[in-house]
Amino acid sequence: MASYFDDHGVNELSENLTSDELPLVMARILLRFGFADDIWLTTMGSDGLGPYPTAKKVIEELPTQIITKEEAEKKNTCSVCLGHLEEDNEVKTLLCKHQFHTKCILPWLEKVNTCPVCREEFATDDPAYEEFRKYKARKKQRDFELDNLHNSMFG
Amino acid sequence: MAIAEQRIRREFREVIRSEEVERCRIKVELVNDKFNELKGEIAGPPETPYEGGKFQLEIKIPETYPFNPPKVRFVTRIWHPNISSVTGAICLDILKDQWAAAMTLRTVLLSLQALLAAAEPDDPQDAVVARQYKERQDVFQKTATHWTNVYAGGPNHADDLEDKVRQLTNMGFEEDQARVALSSHNWDTAQATDFLLS
Ligand SMILES: [Zn+2]
Ligand SMILES: [Zn+2]
Repeated sequence: MASYFDDHGVNELSENLTSDELPLVMARILLRFGFADDIWLTTMGSDGLGPYPTAKKVIEELPTQIITKEEAEKKNTCSVCLGHLEEDNEVKTLLCKHQFHTKCILPWLEKVNTCPVCREEFATDDPAYEEFRKYKARKKQRDFELDNLHNSMFG
Repeated sequence: MAIAEQRIRREFREVIRSEEVERCRIKVELVNDKFNELKGEIAGPPETPYEGGKFQLEIKIPETYPFNPPKVRFVTRIWHPNISSVTGAICLDILKDQWAAAMTLRTVLLSLQALLAAAEPDDPQDAVVARQYKERQDVFQKTATHWTNVYAGGPNHADDLEDKVRQLTNMGFEEDQARVALSSHNWDTAQATDFLLS
């Protein structure tokens, strides 16, 4: 087994993996060999949301405020309960600037790492999933650079 | 009041006031006063085999709504790659992992209508239908139009297909089963019969 991974350049594998490290190592192997997109889709669970809650730190650091009388007059809506953001309601603002009642957004972020409105992704506490996010970001950057290169040649 | 019920009350008002309802393109009705089960209906989109048909949906609202998606199933039988021709189960990403809490009954019904207009055969719910869609598009169109006529009140009657169904019912097979067998075997009567007997 060791020689197989050596041949393929996977050298971070140690002999004595703990069960906590195993998913992370699996993720690395999958990313290395380009299976990630497929595998990730099949592990997402068929009837639910992705199993990854937003990182605790991200949730803790969300700006929180109490709606004032003037703000309440704008009649902004919370997209989770579809109710207005009314005077004295406590609200949280996500990194994408979307605003929700605190009591409405917390249960959502404790389940998933995306904004319910625009699907912006937030960091998670899951190391394997974070590897995947980095991989996706790199892939996006690479595709972008390829496009630019192509456009500069043929544009 | 639980958030699920409060949401559905608000959404229900939103849908019944919407422009799409006014134009009879979508419809929702309450099944009970607990707001956890609804009946939906969508009109088949124009210039598709589903045109002229009305498709009934069963909509169940989980207690955890809107943090989890509603459970939706076609009650009206339909021939479509992403919908089971047997159970009406739907394969659509927003009803699974792409659900977002800001989506509503209205967006779900409109997305289902869009699915009828643009199938995704590479992510099928019904593998038999999906294969026909990819390999025999002409047969698919004809079959889907026929199902719309028989089950959803669509206008296009197909005498030749009805004759084949009647041949099998005359042999003692149940009508819906006969239609599924024929549809699944590109309307080859011999193959459909073999299938029903096996
Ligand atoms: Zn709210
Ligand atoms: Zn957002």
